[in-house]
Amino acid sequence: MSSKRKAAGEAGAAAGASAKGKKAKKGTGKAAEEVTDPVELDEEMPSEPEDDYLDEEEPLEEQGTFNDRDFSKLELKPDHVNRPLWICTDGRIFLETYSPIYKQAYDFLIAIAEPVCRPECVHEYNLTPHSLYAAVSVGLETETIISVLERLSKTRLPEEIARFIRDSTLNYGKVKLVLQRNRFFVESSSPSILRKLLQDDVISRARLSRDDFTISRAPEEAAAREMEKDLLAEGEPEPGAEALEKDLHSFEIDPEQVEHVKQRCLQPGDLCYPMLEEYDFRNDTVNPDLNIELKPMTQIRPYQEKSLSKMFGNGRARSGIIVLPCGAGKSLVGVSASCRVKKSILCLCTSSVSVDQWAYQFKLWSTVKDEQITRFTSENKERFRPNQASVCVTTYNMVAFGGRRSEESEEIINQIKSREWGLLLMDEVHVVPAQMFRKVIGITKSHCKLGLTATLVREDERISDLNFLIGPKLYEANWLDLVKAGHLANVQCAEVWCPMTREFYREYLKKENAGKQQALYVMNPNKFQACEFLIRYHEQQRGDKIIVFSDNIFALREYAHALRKPFIYGPTSHTERSRVLYAFKHDPNVNCVFLSKVGDNSIDIPEANVIIQISSHAGSRRQEAQRLGRILRPKGRAQDRVAGGAEEFNAFFYSLVSKDTVEMYYSTKRQQFLIDQGYSFKVITELPPPDMASELSYSTQQEQLDLLGRVLQADTAEAGEERLGEDLDDIERYRARRSVGNMRALSGADGMVYMEYSTGQPRPMGGRGRGRIPQASRHRIFRNRYGASRR
Amino acid sequence: MVNALKGILIECDIPMKQFIVSINDQLPNAQKFIIYDLDDTHLFVQPHVADMLQNKVKDFLDKITYEKPA
Repeated sequence: MSSKRKAAGEAGAAAGASAKGKKAKKGTGKAAEEVTDPVELDEEMPSEPEDDYLDEEEPLEEQGTFNDRDFSKLELKPDHVNRPLWICTDGRIFLETYSPIYKQAYDFLIAIAEPVCRPECVHEYNLTPHSLYAAVSVGLETETIISVLERLSKTRLPEEIARFIRDSTLNYGKVKLVLQRNRFFVESSSPSILRKLLQDDVISRARLSRDDFTISRAPEEAAAREMEKDLLAEGEPEPGAEALEKDLHSFEIDPEQVEHVKQRCLQPGDLCYPMLEEYDFRNDTVNPDLNIELKPMTQIRPYQEKSLSKMFGNGRARSGIIVLPCGAGKSLVGVSASCRVKKSILCLCTSSVSVDQWAYQFKLWSTVKDEQITRFTSENKERFRPNQASVCVTTYNMVAFGGRRSEESEEIINQIKSREWGLLLMDEVHVVPAQMFRKVIGITKSHCKLGLTATLVREDERISDLNFLIGPKLYEANWLDLVKAGHLANVQCAEVWCPMTREFYREYLKKENAGKQQALYVMNPNKFQACEFLIRYHEQQRGDKIIVFSDNIFALREYAHALRKPFIYGPTSHTERSRVLYAFKHDPNVNCVFLSKVGDNSIDIPEANVIIQISSHAGSRRQEAQRLGRILRPKGRAQDRVAGGAEEFNAFFYSLVSKDTVEMYYSTKRQQFLIDQGYSFKVITELPPPDMASELSYSTQQEQLDLLGRVLQADTAEAGEERLGEDLDDIERYRARRSVGNMRALSGADGMVYMEYSTGQPRPMGGRGRGRIPQASRHRIFRNRYGASRR
Repeated sequence: MVNALKGILIECDIPMKQFIVSINDQLPNAQKFIIYDLDDTHLFVQPHVADMLQNKVKDFLDKITYEKPA
């Protein structure tokens, strides 16, 4: 009896430790929570989509009006101390990271459950149908999942969980779509499922030959075996350990019909057999081999190896997504995957800068020859030779572009379309659900897709589309573990609260300045001083390299001019960019550079170790993580970086926030992703120190008023946020594009009597003037031309 | 001649005073509630607006505070 009570108490404590106030409102049930949602600003997406499982549980939750998180019924095992998991009936799993078998338990959990929050001591995971789908796709079987969970759990595995796992994995991974010698096969280990599928009209029509199923034998999942072995080793003979080969039954289908068959199989209802896609590249004799190997000096880190083993577990390549933090060597994973597949590789990135970087990475890590690798961007149209395997690096935009192309690129795109690609590498795969990038997957024929990203979050709920567009998440690394292992820099994150000055805040509150709110809180003189102080401190006293990020172009320019620092933003020419970045890397006198949104991803600046963020893209969690990623590459010696070492923290991330403005809201929201990864933010309120203030800019009232005047005079376009042509962030679409005030400003009647108010939808709080950046507002036919000429 | 006037003294930080002033400015003349604008951090207002102000301030703070969706 007493042990039971203890179980409840400890489980509750664990929940409290990591769920962070999540429980607070739980007691009132779901309905009440939903009511609170309208507080969210409308450009923000409301809460994360609740997964289906929880929805199903809803009636149950409402029954238990106040104790829906009471798990005292669960029975505690006598040797619970040695077991690392708490498993709750609602699908949440808590992992003690200090357990001796943490590593194995973690590897297993990451395969079957979605990480929710991973701070230092207790991790929270969530079992969802999608995560189980991923588990099955890497070869774990239903009974294995249940038995391992049972083994690791401190309590007896709740019935509900076992049932949930059985229900959700019943159909997953039972059917595979295999491309072999250019023929598509539907494959399954049980003929009865195939028969069931064939009863369907669409599928049976797509079937090519009417003979019996083809039977082949395949080696068992290596990765799954190993994991199973790790965890089941203590006793219990493995069921069927001797049968390392399995019978596989398959029938061939018409390549034309593949799309329909896939769609059909996905349909919920009678047929619900999501197909796994696998590529048997070793037996592919039709497509020419690409002769590349990793260079002998290339070192693959353990976690990279692990992620690859998930992908190539059974000797075939399976489609999926690998999530690694920025700076943890995603490109090496991509390159090594390519070297294993050894077929034509199509690599898609988000910008032409990263195209160059990927091409460089390929040359750096592998033995790919210059003529085997081609780049296809608006500046660089390199042809690849027909009938020969090659690596092609291009951008999503180039492939998805729907308008007229030049003859040259038309030819290349036709080659891309006609070719069968062995591997489709997708960098920054979180962009794929965007409408225009979905096209890419349809256009290119590939046997296998590998998505890479650091931040599998979007502010809309399309992230789960990736499950079906690409494949399940194969691996996700734990940021803190990588920091501890020395693969990432140990970053001190801080949020600096800057009070608004009286004049700035007065203007901020005025209704007619709604479009300039951002400019006002970014140009807050106190924030400017804090920024100046931080730059001085890190430049002079620590000799650090600093990046200052600002999404607001007006602020970017003002700050950079006032502090005499170089800056880069969208319209900055390529040569100037390279010059500034070169100076930043090599000139000891250039220690600070100002970047706009363009620097978020893909500008590689390994030297930098301090980031100061003065303005940001609303509540985008992804941007925050990606900016942090700029300084995650480890610097200095590994032994100095451990806790208590000479330099425990040698990278710093400051986010400057104006108090009492909507920025506070955004800032907290943005941090959520990093907090879930186990980072913590320190809040600094007294910056600059009072005695320093007079030495910094804008310390007198007069200067501040001048600055305010400039901010208010700047036209709305200037004061707004930068819009990049290639920017396709998810939040963007929810913005009102209309901006009131342009006409006034143009006619010179600014501040005159006539005023226009937008009716209908009230402006969202903090909605900024959608700036008319010339590049963005052009029709898309002209945009390229103007963009190109400026570059 | 002593002139007594009943009201509430509000003490707050600089931005918050600006916020209250802006509420006052948005109201029609008849409903304006600030009696004296004393200095950067002090206001003297009509006695009946205390609840209204408290609610407004609370709403405002809620709006700029992010709460993680459960």
